[in-house]
Amino acid sequence: MEIEPVFIFRLIAAFTTMYLIALGHSVFEKSGILNLSIDGVFFLLTGVVVSIVVPLADIFSSLGLPVILATTLTVITTGLIAVIIGVFMAWTLTKLPVGQGSVGLALMFLGYGLGIIAGYEIRLGGVRIGLYTYPESLNIYVVFLIIALSTGIITHILLNKTVIGAAIRACGENPHVALVLGVNVLKTRIIASIIGFFIMGVGASLFVLLWQKYWDIKIYLLGYGWLAFTIALAAGRHPLVLIPLALLFGGLVEFNIRLKTTLGLQVDLAKMIPFLATLALMTIYGSTRLRKIFEPPRSLGKVFYREERTV
Amino acid sequence: MSNYRHKNRENVVLLSARNISKSFPGGVVALDRVSLDLYAGEILALVGENGSGKSTLVKILCGVYVPDSGEIYVREHEGLRRVTISSPVDAMIKGIVMVSQIPQLVDNLTIIENISLTLASLRIRGANFYSSLSKISKIMSEEFEKIGIKIDLNEKVYNLTYTQKQLVEILRAMIINARIILIDEALTYLPILEKKRFYQLLLNLRETGKSIVLVTHKIPEAMEISDRIAVLKTGRLVSVVNTREVTPEYIRTAMFGEERAKQVRYSRLESKSVYGEERIVVKELRVEDDYGREVVKGVDLVVRAGEIVGIAGITGNGQRELAEAIVGLRKVKSGEIYINSNSVNVKNAGIKDIRELGVGFIPDRLFEHGISLEEDIVENIAVSVARRDMIIPWSLIEKISSDLVSTFQVVTPSIKTPTKYLSGGNVLKVIVARELEAAKKALIACNPTRTLDEVSAMYVREKIKNKAVSENIAVLLISEDLDEILMISDTIYVMNTGKLYGPLTPETPREEIEKLMVM
Amino acid sequence: MRLIVVKRKTTFKYQAWIYTAMSLFLGILVYLIIMAFCGISPVNVLVNVAKSFISPNIVKDFLVLTAMGCALLISFRAALWNIGGEGQFYMAMIPGAIFTLIVFNPQYNPAPPPIVVILVALSGMFIGALWALLAALFKAYLKIDEVPVTLILNYIAYYTINYLVYGPLKGRYTYGYLRTDEIPGIYRLNIKLHVIPRGDTLQVFLQSMVAQLAYYIALLVLAILIYVFTWWFFKYCKIGLYIKIHGSNPGYLQAQGVNTKHITLLAMAISGAIIGLTGSTYLLSELGRIPYELERQTAGYGYLAVLVAWLSLLDYRMVPISAYIVSSLRNAGIALQAAGLGGAEQTFLLIGSILLTYSIIRFLVDYEVRIAWK
Repeated sequence: MEIEPVFIFRLIAAFTTMYLIALGHSVFEKSGILNLSIDGVFFLLTGVVVSIVVPLADIFSSLGLPVILATTLTVITTGLIAVIIGVFMAWTLTKLPVGQGSVGLALMFLGYGLGIIAGYEIRLGGVRIGLYTYPESLNIYVVFLIIALSTGIITHILLNKTVIGAAIRACGENPHVALVLGVNVLKTRIIASIIGFFIMGVGASLFVLLWQKYWDIKIYLLGYGWLAFTIALAAGRHPLVLIPLALLFGGLVEFNIRLKTTLGLQVDLAKMIPFLATLALMTIYGSTRLRKIFEPPRSLGKVFYREERTV
Repeated sequence: MSNYRHKNRENVVLLSARNISKSFPGGVVALDRVSLDLYAGEILALVGENGSGKSTLVKILCGVYVPDSGEIYVREHEGLRRVTISSPVDAMIKGIVMVSQIPQLVDNLTIIENISLTLASLRIRGANFYSSLSKISKIMSEEFEKIGIKIDLNEKVYNLTYTQKQLVEILRAMIINARIILIDEALTYLPILEKKRFYQLLLNLRETGKSIVLVTHKIPEAMEISDRIAVLKTGRLVSVVNTREVTPEYIRTAMFGEERAKQVRYSRLESKSVYGEERIVVKELRVEDDYGREVVKGVDLVVRAGEIVGIAGITGNGQRELAEAIVGLRKVKSGEIYINSNSVNVKNAGIKDIRELGVGFIPDRLFEHGISLEEDIVENIAVSVARRDMIIPWSLIEKISSDLVSTFQVVTPSIKTPTKYLSGGNVLKVIVARELEAAKKALIACNPTRTLDEVSAMYVREKIKNKAVSENIAVLLISEDLDEILMISDTIYVMNTGKLYGPLTPETPREEIEKLMVM
Repeated sequence: MRLIVVKRKTTFKYQAWIYTAMSLFLGILVYLIIMAFCGISPVNVLVNVAKSFISPNIVKDFLVLTAMGCALLISFRAALWNIGGEGQFYMAMIPGAIFTLIVFNPQYNPAPPPIVVILVALSGMFIGALWALLAALFKAYLKIDEVPVTLILNYIAYYTINYLVYGPLKGRYTYGYLRTDEIPGIYRLNIKLHVIPRGDTLQVFLQSMVAQLAYYIALLVLAILIYVFTWWFFKYCKIGLYIKIHGSNPGYLQAQGVNTKHITLLAMAISGAIIGLTGSTYLLSELGRIPYELERQTAGYGYLAVLVAWLSLLDYRMVPISAYIVSSLRNAGIALQAAGLGGAEQTFLLIGSILLTYSIIRFLVDYEVRIAWK
């Protein structure tokens, strides 16, 4: 079987997207906040991308500037918009004794609905997103691959070799003790949310602009957010361990289409594949030593309240 | 012990608490207008029963709690300045640090990572949150060498012993140059040999003008190295004296009040003379902890009907895991456990069968295993009593609950009040009452009187003793309080790093038992 | 200025209802703001909401959501967040379709309708329980959070059913639409009152209500049965008590020798069974066939029920009230048809808005906020 350049490009794009989303999610969850909103927020951000890139590119081209600048600016802007969501979650779920799971779930639903609304105009206008995405050039793909891997390495160093990283992990393991040790839990979690959600925002934008190069409201039915969630879970939210897993599962969903045609799968069965892969990964993680090695942060999902008991 | 009035130091007040009051949900008044001064270069013992408010007071001083009213003054260069201590960091900035009974360290992180958080938040030696851990590591190694302690800083905290953790805590206080160190019963249950290591550190600190508040409910500890003693009783400060000038009896009377002091007897309770058949038999038991490390390393044990076997030892030596394994709550790595003369090998049976046999269990982790706070007393007891029914016989359970509540004098608005509204001591009473009721053949009790006031604690001990003597049940008592072990045990063991030493008789000299705790 | 959050010293029951009502209003406000962005005037929305509150059209939704709300109560009280209602609801319809359209198709192999209906109901319960049990196994034995698993199983359910409708269950008399055939009339559970509402507004209203209730008699009976069962289950059944305690402190159950894994499985299975039963009943009372591309056409009861269960503060007495409110809101939302959002998508916005405000404001029941001026 010939490996066409397009295969490699798509694989790099798939890896970069899944890796960045899982990486950002991991940093956020390391600080102790459960992020069940991932699938909804991912979809919302893709809708945001589409609603920004078209008008922005039109403005840029009318000013004589290259479209690719608009595309890149969209990526950064999406990251910043994601940060708003992340900081909201971090603040609300740390300052107030509120259930992390239900807020995450609520944001997931809102993300689905708002994402549809965000992309509505574009969809209605029948615009071909392909005009506004990154061009098929080896350089582009290599640049993003390098960016993704560097981000991962820097994140790893930050989390495991600096004091702020120790603070983030302490908030995830035992925020009450972290507080006593001198950590400002609120500030630390907000920092983790800024870093984490920015990376996720970039990843989500690359989903449209680098990988799929199209957008449709049916994207919310793909379940890629949950796949990223599970990749992060199985890798113990470790920036470096995420790399092979993101490659494997990014590749799997990318070649979903190919599998469909080679195996002659009916379209609905093919749509199930990412979900089945997610469940399979969960099963492997839960039933083997992986779970012991890649434990979640001990206080993940627990309400943080400075409890005053008489005992 | 040298006189606290140093010749070259005035009676400089480092900290002054004035009219501090604090109450908790449920109307519990923990502190009632307490005023106390702390001088530079002194060791002040803060004594009181469980529930007298001493822990609350130090938690206010170190920023964990906020007082309802009152002021705190701390010495700055010019003089005493009024401050608000709003968080633990705030307290540390003002030079106040607490060492708690439960070490406040993140288990999954290394020692360096833990202490780096404090160093960074206080900007000690140029450390900040963006420093690399290796830089911090250098700083810490230097400081520790200066103090003369050898410990592997890259060790994960969950690998340390209890004593080592407390050492790390005190070293942290020293590195950040705290002026005031509050020790909240952190050393209370350590054997004297271990304590002496800490005492030396504390005395050195005192020499350099630092102040130490030693919180305890044990009078001998209070009188050991303190310069002054402050006594709290039901939230009020009743006495402040120079240690040299008083007797233990005086302190006792101040702590309990005349009447109660008489009720609290520290004498041994009468035992049976002859024991029955072997009820609990443990052979070559090996058990792992939550981190997968072996913490019970081949234990053999026999408890007979009517006998109380007490296991003494510093917390964290495998006692909790041993108890949980015997009752079936924790998996056994290898070895055998038999309950009720070979009829049930616990390894094959589960905790369900054990409980149905009639084994009571007062767990070490009370709020994790002992009670469901959202449910009321009746519902909690229903789980223990209605084992075989599919439909719950509520009227029967309500009757049992009422009886238990009145027998143990549990303070509660009603038996249908959710237990989260009860005070900690009363929750413990409910648990003890329920488990004593369930103990038809045997009882496994871990620290059953911790946090209880002395009279209630005596009551619980008597009840346990009675159960053994009159109802012929086998009791395995695990307690970090050696006094308690000596008070009611018939046979004593000491647990140290997963191994059991003994059997010893209750007449064994205290020093010998304590020696086994240290090794 | 600092915000300090403090636990309340006492909690009054009515406070819980006040804060729930407050969160409801705020959630609707958020929804209104979003709709305004889509170019729909808030007045329009509120008028529709008001109309829906007294519209006989909500009877069907109300009955389904009461039954499903109770079903979710059983798992939610065990702290098992069964978000898989959608999957359990629709998977239960598969045996229903098979029994009525294939096995006992009146054209080839008639059977007494009561027997078939009972078979459909029982098989629906069984499949619903099974589908929920799948997620429960992940939770109990692999310790995997049930929220992602139940959600994923929803998607797998949609696609499985799509596949079956595309293939083996494809209808032959469908006028070109891709769906199963219609369920034969003899197996349907409706009572059709041929009533033409006459008289003044009140009479018309009452007559419409009666007609609706008669048409959906099966759902009415179901809702009542489930409601009574839920009450009895938590009050008298020991498993009910275990489930409650599993939700507050499973460690306590373990220490008492109760197998919490079994409780997890049971709670989810019972929850799924009730949802499955509701699904089967719904198939025979309303849906009448299974469409292709289920995910675009679902009413979203599985998700709406989550909102119903939460808004009822996990108290069975409140379930009918929150079912009523959610049904009205949903119908109002459908009437708006904004921004090309289909039924399911409107539902997302509604659920998201209210769930968000509810989840956040909920804490005011047990805690109060004080402002400290430094």
